[in-house]
Amino acid sequence: MPLAPVNDAVTITELIGNPYPFYRQMRAETPVVSVKAVNRVMLTKAADTRAVKDDAETWSSDDPDTPMKRAFQAHTLMRKDGEEHLRERNAMMPTFTPKNLKTLWGPAYERLAGQYLDRLPKDEVVDLFPALAGPLAARILAEILGLSDATDDDMQAWSQALIDGAGNFGGFDEPFERVDRAHLAMNALLERRADFYRANPDETALSVMVNADDPIEWGQIVSNIKIAIGGGINEPRDALLTVLHGLLTNPDQLDELKRTGNWGAAFEEAIRWVAPIQVSSRRATRDTQIRGIDIPKGTVVMTCQASSNHDEELFENGHLFNAFRGRNPHQSFGSGPHHCMGTHLARLMLGKIMLPMIFDRFPNMELVEPETVVWKGFGFRGPLNLPVRLT
Amino acid sequence: MPKITFISADGTAQTVDARTGDNVMQTALAQGIEGITAECGGAMACATCHAYVADDWADKVGPATGAEADMLDFAACEVTPSSRLSCQITITEELDGLVLRLPETQI
Repeated sequence: MPLAPVNDAVTITELIGNPYPFYRQMRAETPVVSVKAVNRVMLTKAADTRAVKDDAETWSSDDPDTPMKRAFQAHTLMRKDGEEHLRERNAMMPTFTPKNLKTLWGPAYERLAGQYLDRLPKDEVVDLFPALAGPLAARILAEILGLSDATDDDMQAWSQALIDGAGNFGGFDEPFERVDRAHLAMNALLERRADFYRANPDETALSVMVNADDPIEWGQIVSNIKIAIGGGINEPRDALLTVLHGLLTNPDQLDELKRTGNWGAAFEEAIRWVAPIQVSSRRATRDTQIRGIDIPKGTVVMTCQASSNHDEELFENGHLFNAFRGRNPHQSFGSGPHHCMGTHLARLMLGKIMLPMIFDRFPNMELVEPETVVWKGFGFRGPLNLPVRLT
Repeated sequence: MPKITFISADGTAQTVDARTGDNVMQTALAQGIEGITAECGGAMACATCHAYVADDWADKVGPATGAEADMLDFAACEVTPSSRLSCQITITEELDGLVLRLPETQI
């Protein structure tokens, strides 16, 4: 059988600017394709990305050839398989039980959302990226992780440093220097907070991990927290900005949603339309095949859930935002053992709490100069700005 | 080969072949049953493979317990004593003829 065809035409700049036309072309012409710009075999069809993530034996999450270990100063659970992965994942799970979501984190988010919305200026243009979406995502995460004395600015800066470090395939000095400084600050905070939680246990992630009957090693507790910092701010931030953009540019849908209150469907559609995490890699543990293409053992494939979410076999006009689409089998939370642990939290915070609240308070919110909204990102993607006027 | 019947929320029944050793969720996905989403692929992390076991099968299948019962709290539709996460029900010859009702939505 043949190896994957090679595409050496698309550039990383194009992918960062807007990967969707490239994905559409690949789905139609070469759904399994070796892309020189990212040095990976990209999988662009929904059936393939799903099958890979669900088969953790054939497809390992450990890709040793990336800057991630250097950036995180650790081998994190995101890159582990099997029992080892499950042990670390389970160490954090108690924080995310349905009961905690219902009794602690939902109410906390509702309170914080109200406060952050109260602070927004009226009758002038305000950019919701720095004024709302970023800081609120940072604040609730700090509460849930057990880092309540971290400022919104620190949380956002650390998160970006981790992401930039993990994405530093060019090996440049600046991102590694910046993330190393972030580690110093995070490590100091974590040690201080861990001492506090040994005496005052609660349901936060740091507390449940530190106080467990059979705790995982301190180094892994620290790296679990850092994965959550790296992975738990950009996504809710981008998801909120994306859904607001989708709704404000589709006023007929927004009107209908105000009538029916089915905000959950709007949230699901937003993250399908522009997946906050666009791609994730896996490594073949044995020789295998996808769609008649040989994938030799050791090949690193890139599952492009951003593309799967637009797969013509599953979605009609997938490039359009349509909150009334009905069946929406998107893959933005992944699938298989590494399925996003924040899934239910995200659905609760944005779908059930924020969307009804923001449109109840600001029913006439208006997107100002929509042509100035910039979308960016290949690994992570969302609007860089969302200028609105609130009345 | 055991047979399983899925009754969707609108009352339509579909009877499909199942393989012993597979779980009910895998069977639903393999046979194209639309009412099971199975977002996490069987890792018991999502509650989108929720199904109601028909009353006359309750004893043979048993109720949800422990972590499965906890995870069911995330189910989108009402959870009853018949509720199970279908990824946690393993098909055996004894379950030939099993009937499950599907909720209106999984998300």
